[in-house]
This record gives sequence, C-alpha cells and structure tokens, in this order.
Amino acid sequence: MFRARTYNSGYGPTKRYMEKAIFYKEWIKTRWYFLLSTLLLAAFTGYCLLNVSRIIEFKGAVHLWEVMLERDAVFVDLLTYLPLLAGLLMAVFQFVPEMQQSRLKLTLHLPYPHYRMVASMLLYGTLALCVTYLVSLALIGICFDALVARELFARVVLTALPWYAAGLAAYFLTAWVCLEPTWKRRILNMLVGAGVLRIFFLAPAPEAYNAFLPGLTLFTLLLSLLGMLSVYRFKTGEQD
Amino acid sequence: MIRTSKILLYFIATVLLAWTLPWAYGLLGGASPSAPFTLYSSVSGEFSWLEATDRGIEYQDAAGRRFTDKQFDSILPFFYYRQLISDNRFPDSIRGVAVTPKLAQAGNFMFRSSPRQVNANVPGIYPLLESMSGRVDLEASDDVFRIDRNGITFIDCETNTVKADKSAAFTEMMRKKGFVFPARVIAGNPTTRKEYDEGFFITDNEGKLFHLKQTKGRPFVRAVELPEGLEVAQIFVTEYRGRQYFAFLTDKAGQFYALTTGDYALHPVAIPPLDLTRQGVMIVGNPFDWTVKVSDTDGAEHFYAIDGETFGRLKELHYPAPEPTALEKAGKFVFPFRLSFTSGSDTEVVPRVTDISAWALILGLVLAAAFCVIRKTNPVRQAPQCLFILVCGLYAFIGLLLFSRK
Repeated sequence: MFRARTYNSGYGPTKRYMEKAIFYKEWIKTRWYFLLSTLLLAAFTGYCLLNVSRIIEFKGAVHLWEVMLERDAVFVDLLTYLPLLAGLLMAVFQFVPEMQQSRLKLTLHLPYPHYRMVASMLLYGTLALCVTYLVSLALIGICFDALVARELFARVVLTALPWYAAGLAAYFLTAWVCLEPTWKRRILNMLVGAGVLRIFFLAPAPEAYNAFLPGLTLFTLLLSLLGMLSVYRFKTGEQD
Repeated sequence: MIRTSKILLYFIATVLLAWTLPWAYGLLGGASPSAPFTLYSSVSGEFSWLEATDRGIEYQDAAGRRFTDKQFDSILPFFYYRQLISDNRFPDSIRGVAVTPKLAQAGNFMFRSSPRQVNANVPGIYPLLESMSGRVDLEASDDVFRIDRNGITFIDCETNTVKADKSAAFTEMMRKKGFVFPARVIAGNPTTRKEYDEGFFITDNEGKLFHLKQTKGRPFVRAVELPEGLEVAQIFVTEYRGRQYFAFLTDKAGQFYALTTGDYALHPVAIPPLDLTRQGVMIVGNPFDWTVKVSDTDGAEHFYAIDGETFGRLKELHYPAPEPTALEKAGKFVFPFRLSFTSGSDTEVVPRVTDISAWALILGLVLAAAFCVIRKTNPVRQAPQCLFILVCGLYAFIGLLLFSRK
C-alpha cells in the first residue's frame, strides 16, 4: 500500500516557492488548452453577439427589445453548455496526466502538504476558468449594456450565470472523478457528477435561478472539497 | 477537511436520491384523471360536459340528460356558434332575448390565468403602444417605460437613451392626477397582436388604481375609484373584441372583480376567494353568462356559472381531487420527504421539500438497524449515520451504503 510522506516544510519562503512552482507546473500543463478554450468561448460569445447586431441591422433595435420582452429571448442560448464543457476539459487536461503512470504519487512526494498541493492545483484551475468565463461575460456585458436597458442587460447576465457556475462545478466534479484511484468508485462518482450538473440546467426560463443563485454558488465552491476525498482515498491505498 | 468532504458527499448523494427516487416512483402510477370539459349552458341553465369514454365521446349535463353531438352544439350556442351558423342552426333568440351571430362573435371571450404566469419573473420595463394611431393595425412601440420613485422614464430602443421630454410630460400628468411614485402593480398587454390598445392599469405607492395609455403621443391618465379598503393584488388587462371590460382584478383577500368599460366600475364576481399564485382560473364568457373554472393544486376543479350582467352566481359544480392511489399511499411509508427543484406553479429553480411523512420514520428505523447489521458495527459508534438514516430514510441508507467505507 502506498503511503506518501507528509512534509511540514511548506511554510515561509519554501511555501511561496512551492506555490509558484505548482502554479507554473499547472500552467505548463494547461496553457494551450487554456488559451484555446478562452479563444473558443470568446469566439462563440462573439458569434452570439454578431447575431444580435444582425437582428438590429435587418429588423431594427425595436424588434430586438420586443423579442426580449415578449418571447423571453436572451440571444446567448448557444453558450448554454459551453462553460460546462470548458470546465470539464480543463480538469481532464489538468488531472488525467497526474493519474497516468501514477504521477500523482510523485507530486504527493514533493515537500508540501498534500491537501494544500491539490488545493493549489484546483485554485489554479478555478482562476484559469474564471479568466476564461470573465472574457465571455465581459463581451456579453459590454454588448448588452450598450444595446438594451439595464433590466434586459441584467436578465441576460442572470440567465447566463448558472451556466458559468455549472462550468466550475463540472471542473470540480471532473477533478474528483479523475483523482479517484478506483474505477468502480469513479463510475459512481460520474453518476453523482451527472446528477449534480443536471441541477444547473433545469429550466430554460430567463432568470429562473435568481433565488437559488447564491446557494448554488456556495454549493459549487463546496464541490472543490470532493477532490480532497479522492486524494485521501489515494493516500490510504485504495486501488483496483 | 476530509470529514467535511465526506459529509458533503453523503449530503449530495442524499439530495440526488431524494430528488430522483420519488420522481421515478411517480412514473409507475401514470397520469391522474382530469375533469371533463364542462361549460354552463345558457339554453338549459345546467352545466353540461363532454367526456371521452370507451364507447366514444359522451355528451351529458348535470340534470342527467344525454345528448348527441348536434344537440350538444345547440345547448351551447355561443361556444359552437360557428358550427351552428355553418349548419344554419344558430337560434334567433335565447331565453327570449334576440341573438345574432355577430353578438356571439363580439360577446365571446376566454380568460386564462395560471400560477406559472402570475409567478413569472418580469423584466420591469414595458412598451406603451400608441392607442390612437389612426391605423387599423397596432404598431410596435419604439420605446419602453420603467416606473421608479422618481417617476416614469421612457427609454428609446434605437439609442438606448432616456426620452427626457416624454418622460417629463408623462410624469407630470401622472403626478397631476394624484399618482404617487413608485408603482406597485403594473399590468398591460404590450403586444401588437390584438385589435385595440387600452394601455396599462397601474397601482401607485398608496394602492390607488390608475389607467395609463398613450393617445397621439400624449399621456392619458385616469384615476379609477376603488371601494374603501380594497388593495389590488393582480390586474389582467383584457382587451376583448366586445370591449365590455377593461380588466379583471383580484384584491389581497382573493376577491375577483371585473372592471367594466365606460363607467370604470368595479364589480365583484360571485366566486370564492382565489389565490392566483396557486390556483389556475379559466373563464369562458358569452354575452349572457360566464363559466368560471378554478383549478386547485391537488387536482380538484370547481365550476361556477356567473351571470354576465350582475356577476352573481347562477350554479356551481365541483369535481373533487382524485383519491390517492395505493401506490401514492404506499409512498408515504417509503419516502420521508420529496425534493424537487422546479414546480408547475412558477418558473423558478429552487429546492423545495414537500410531502414530509412521519410514517417513513418506521422504515428509517428499520434501515438504520439494517445499516448497523450490514456494517457489523455498534449502533453507538455509528450514531450520526443511524440518525441520518432515521431522518432521511431510504435516501441516506443508499447514499451511505454506496459511499461510506466498509
């Protein structure tokens, strides 16, 4: 049974050095994916916004407002599952290499507390995803702020926010699945993950998640703890 | 941290099972029966209905009479007026009053209100159409308005900027008529797919009711007198072809009113108090009477026949809620509660715990004991898990068996 040694040397200058090193390692692993996903999500967002400008060009701004008010259109529906996909793939790119040839064993042998190490890796992924999502949300914000009243602007952003929260949840859940050392449990984790992600896509109505959004955000952040459970199982020698 | 992570995992598993298991169980039961299509007959003075049975469609009324389809058309001449005109069977008079197809066409209306519609999120900005454009077809408004504590503000759709002059003119007129900003209830049908426009009915910050519309670009504001102490809860602007009503309203006590055109008079309709955030209402009206259908959340349906002139109650008919099936009754012993995120009554996604059943504690107790036997541990050592299973029953039992260490 593998038991990684715990080092208490992750403090002071060593701690800062290690954190930088972990972040750099994660950056090396995911930089191309990060750039590609940021560009692709921005491109899809741009495509949605291009459709909005086309509607204004061919049918006029009045029609745009009318459709948004009467038919509950938000014009960014194309993005619904893209943040989820971006989050899921980020975790795959970040954690699948760790699980290949038991590289996680080596990572956990580094002179740094294990859970803090995984937390730093998850923090890196979360920050990278936040940048990706913020670029997309900023594009939506800039466009709709200029074109429509603040009520409709808020409607679009509040409708889209659960999709981005789902992206973060997909990231944490995929990390949990990837870090899990046994296949039996991994499949069980996948089923739970799919069930959790379904919660983010239950209603197509605009602003359907307004009341639940603070709780859902807190729940999403708590999902980051599940990765630690997989590391714990890895440390205690669970294996196929 | 690991303990917190484990608790979180058990919690997630329990939530997912509490959400999916009762739903899957409900699928076994099939759809519950619904009340037949029922209308009050202006001719016979009875409720009559048609029902699909094994023998085909059957037509009958509350007096026990059975009809053929043609007879059924004849006892509901306003509802089936197009069929009667086509068959040259439309009557000259009903209950001694001369009627014409034109009267049926103009006087018929249908009103629907569902909890989902009443509880829906609205953006808080509204287009105010031009109600006297001089054109046959209504045109879409090029601006929208919002009402806040400073007044009414019109925003130009093309430029997304405030129309200062128009906003000032409307704010001044509304203040002059006694409107106290901001508004409480704003109701209208801001669509061009209607025959004419009556603008909006709005209650101000003091609960007073006002009629606001735009006529030739100028504000039309009129205060509507309300009975002392009446607090408007919901307003539904009607704009029916016959122009007989401005709107239907409910007050905080649930009383339903019709606001008639011309005299702006508010008439209480003789039906029991309604909670439109939970109950659905459908009114099929004709120049003589209305059939009001009120649907409860438990599946019960109540029909009221209302006189079209006096708004008094003529008759009533009740279909009780369907009896719970054996499967539903058994469910009370299996599931301690049900968790759902969506509801047919609104568009919101929010966790809702319903159908809490104390009977499921029995199964919870059995499952807690079974858990200790399966895990071969002392119940005292497993006290938190046992308590969790006792309260959350089957959901916690399955979750713990799947995810806790052997």
